[in-house]
Amino acid sequence: MLFHTWVFFVFFLVVYPVFLLVKRNNQLMNLWLMAASYFFYGWWNPYYLLLLFGTSAIDYVMVIFMEKSLRTRKLWLIISLVSNFGFLGYFKYSGFMTENLNTFLAQIGSPFQIADPVYYPNRLLGLLGVPESHFFEQVILPIGISFHTFQSMSYTIDAYRGTIQTERNFIRFLTFVSFFPQLVAGPIERARNLLPQLQREPRITRQDLTDGLALFLVGFFKKVALADYLSLYVDRVYGAPGQFQAAALVLATFAFAWQIYFDFSGYTDMARGIARLMGFHLMLNFNNPYVATGLGDFWARWHISLSTWFKDYVYFPLGGNRHGWLSTYRNMILTMVISGIWHGANWTFVIWGGLHAVGRLLTRELERSRSYREAVPTVMKQLFVFTFVLFTWIFFRAQSLTDAWVIIKRIFTTRWVDPSFPLLMLILVLAVWLYEFLYNAGLKTRFVLELAPVRVGLVVLMIAYLAIIAQPSTKAFIYFQF
Amino acid sequence: MGEREPGKPGLPPELDTEARSNAIYLTGRQWLGVGLFAVAMVLAGPTLWKNVEKLELEPDYRIPKDLSSDYWLFERFTQLAASRYETLVCGDSVVWGEYVTRQHTLSHYLNDLAGKERFANLGLDGAHPLALAGLLEFYSADARGKNIVLQCNPLWLSSPKADLRVEEGAQVNHTRLLPQLFAHIPSYPGLNRLIIRAREQISPRIGIVVEQRLAFSGWATHLQQVYFDQKDVPAWTLEHPYDNPIKPLTRGLPPADDVLRHEPISWTARGIKKQDYEWVDLETSLQWQAFRRAVELLQRRGNRVFVLVGPFNEHLLSQKNRNEYHRVERTIVSWLQVKKVPHLAPPPLVSELYADASHPLAAGYALLARQVFDSLSK
Repeated sequence: MLFHTWVFFVFFLVVYPVFLLVKRNNQLMNLWLMAASYFFYGWWNPYYLLLLFGTSAIDYVMVIFMEKSLRTRKLWLIISLVSNFGFLGYFKYSGFMTENLNTFLAQIGSPFQIADPVYYPNRLLGLLGVPESHFFEQVILPIGISFHTFQSMSYTIDAYRGTIQTERNFIRFLTFVSFFPQLVAGPIERARNLLPQLQREPRITRQDLTDGLALFLVGFFKKVALADYLSLYVDRVYGAPGQFQAAALVLATFAFAWQIYFDFSGYTDMARGIARLMGFHLMLNFNNPYVATGLGDFWARWHISLSTWFKDYVYFPLGGNRHGWLSTYRNMILTMVISGIWHGANWTFVIWGGLHAVGRLLTRELERSRSYREAVPTVMKQLFVFTFVLFTWIFFRAQSLTDAWVIIKRIFTTRWVDPSFPLLMLILVLAVWLYEFLYNAGLKTRFVLELAPVRVGLVVLMIAYLAIIAQPSTKAFIYFQF
Repeated sequence: MGEREPGKPGLPPELDTEARSNAIYLTGRQWLGVGLFAVAMVLAGPTLWKNVEKLELEPDYRIPKDLSSDYWLFERFTQLAASRYETLVCGDSVVWGEYVTRQHTLSHYLNDLAGKERFANLGLDGAHPLALAGLLEFYSADARGKNIVLQCNPLWLSSPKADLRVEEGAQVNHTRLLPQLFAHIPSYPGLNRLIIRAREQISPRIGIVVEQRLAFSGWATHLQQVYFDQKDVPAWTLEHPYDNPIKPLTRGLPPADDVLRHEPISWTARGIKKQDYEWVDLETSLQWQAFRRAVELLQRRGNRVFVLVGPFNEHLLSQKNRNEYHRVERTIVSWLQVKKVPHLAPPPLVSELYADASHPLAAGYALLARQVFDSLSK
C-alpha cells in the first residue's frame, strides 16, 4: 500500500479514528496498530506476512531467552542474527550469488552448477506431495525486508548489549517491528526510541497535528510532483543510454540524484507525518543532503537511520577509529561496501558503496585539515560533494555495470547536443535546491523562508500544483525494492 | 521555526526535527487558512474557468471527437444546451454522426424539420449503455426536466463481448463512466475481483469515483485533454521541453467537430461481410439493464424521454440472425410499452444508406429524422 494512493487514504480513514478511540488502552492500541500494520503489509502480498511474523517472533523469543540465561545469551544472539541474515540472504541475495557462482564455476570449467534458489522450497513441497502446478515460479523479494529485519535486529543486539529493556509484550513487539508508517522503507527505528512510545499513551498535541500534516504534504509533493516527474526523463535516458549523448546523460543523472532524494525523503516525510498525527515521533532520516560540505557530512544527512545503524552495529563493533588509521580506513571501507550491498543484490550497488568508501578515504583527512575547512569556500565544497555523489548515482541507477560504463564513456566521448530536458523540471529542482541552500545558509537568509506569508504561500502553491498539474500516481517508491 | 518554538525540550537531536530539517511547518490557524483556500479552489476553480474559456455553441455543435473522454466539457456542453435547446439527443456515435459532418447528423435534420434550433447533439462516440448511464448520472444533471431523445443501439447487445460479459478480450470504452467498485461487470470487474487479482487497480478506481462526483477533478482532466495533447502536464513538457506550459491555456477550446473521418460510402462498398451476431439474452444483459436504468433515471429527473431503437442495419444479418435480432428488438419495445415510454423502432433504412452495422449515411439520417420528428409530433 502506497501513502500517496486513495487506498491508503481510505485505510487511514478507518485506522485513525479507531486508533484515537483505543489509544488510552495500551493493549488495545498495540493490537489495533499491529492489525493495521499487518493489513498494510499484507495488501502487497499476504503470504509474506508469515515472514514478517516469523522473523519478529524469533527475535522476540531470543531476547526472552537471553534474559533468562546470561551464560547462553551469545548463542541466542547468534541464532537471531543467523535467522535474520538467513531470510535476508535467501530472499534478497541468493539469486545474485547463485548466478555469480555458476558463472565462476563455468569459467573454471567445472560441470557443477548450483540450483536456482526456488528449487529448494519446491523440492520441499514435492516431498510433501504438493503437485507441481502449485510450485513457486521464482523467489519474490519481499518489499521492505531489509528495513524490518534491520529494525528487529537492532532490538536483539541492543538487548544483548543490555542497553534496552526486554519487551515482554509480544503484541507490542510485533507492532514495533511492523509499525505501518515506517515498515517498508524506514526510518529504521531503534527500540530505544519507538518501543517506549508504544508503551505509553501517545499524547497528540495541536502541534503534532499541524506538523504531521505539513510533513505529509511536503512528502506527498516530493513524491508525486517531483520524483515521479523526474522519473519520466530518467527512465527514458537510462532505459537506453546508448541512444543518448553527453548532455542528456549528465542531466538524466542530475535528475536521478534529485528523483531518488525526493522519492525516498518524500516517503520518510510522509511516514513521519503519519506517525506524528498519531502522536509518535520517528527519527529524522534526511537533512538537506545536497548541501553537505563533505562526504562524511553527506552520510550524516542521507538516510540517517541506516547510516547510524551501520555506525552502531558494524563500524563501531569492527573497532571504529580506535585502533589507528589503517584499521579506521579498513572499517570505513567495509562499512560502506556492506551499505552498498544492503541496497541490492547487484554489482552496481557494490561499486556504488565502494566508490563512496574510496571517496571517504581520500577526503577524510582533507576535510579535517584546517586549511581546507577555512580556505575553501563552502559553496565549492558543496559543489564538489554534489558532483562526486552525482557520479556515484550512475552506478546506483544503471541497470548493469555495462550500462554504467556506457554512460560514463558517452559522457566523455559524445557531443553536447540539445538534451531536451524540460525547463519546468529544471526550474522545480533549482527552486528546491535554492530553498535548501537558503535554509542551510544560516539566519541571515533563512528568516525569509520563515515568514508566515512565504510558508503559507509555498503550501498553497504545492496544493494547487498537486491538484491541477500533477497526475495521480501509483508509482512505487524506489526504496521499496530494498 | 517562524512563530513556533524550535524543537521540543528533552528530545534527542535526531528527533529535534524542527530545528534541523527544512520542512514547511504551519500553525493551526495557517492550516485553517490553507484549508479554506483549498476548498475555495475546489469549489470555485471550475466555475471561474468557465469565464476564461469561452464555449461557443455553433449551429449543430457536437463535442470534438478527440475530446470524447472530456466529461467536464460534456457536462458544460449539456448545461449550455439545456439552457438553449428544447430537446437533447443522447446516444453513441450514431447520434454523434460517425460517418458524416455535423451538418448531416440526426439532430441537424431534426432542426431542419423543426425550422429552428430545437435539437442539440449530445452524442458521444463509443457511449455504450453502461457508459451512457454513467454519463447521464454524473455529467448530465443540468438536463433535468428537458425533452430527451435517447438512442438505444442494439449493436451493444450483439455479443457477450459487446455486453461486457466476457472476462477477457472485450474492448471497454469510457471506463471512467462505469461503476467502479460494486458492480458485477466481468469485463471491468469490481472490488470483489480486484481485491484478489489486481489490488493495484483499486486506487485508480477510487480516484475515478471521486472524479465522477467532484467537478474539480474532471476540470483538471479537461485542461490536460484540451490543452496538453491529451497528456498530463509533466508528460507534455517531455515532448515540449522548452515551451511555456501556461501558453497552451490561452488557445481556447477547439471548434465544433467538423471533420469527415470516413469516406461516405455504404457498408457493401466498404467490403463488410454479412454477420451472424451472438445476440445476448436481454434477461441477463448488462447493457440492457444499464439502458433501463438510464431511462428510469431520466424519468425520475422529470425528463420527457423518447427512445429511438436503432437504426440497425438488418441487411447485414443472415436470415436466421435477423429473426434473433427481431426477438431482441421486440423485447426492447415491449419493455418501453410497459413503462409507457414513447418510442420509435423504425423499419430499416435501405441497405445503401448504412455505412456499417448501425451508422447511417447522410441521406439515411435525413430519412430517419423525418420518422423521429413525426413520432415526436404525435
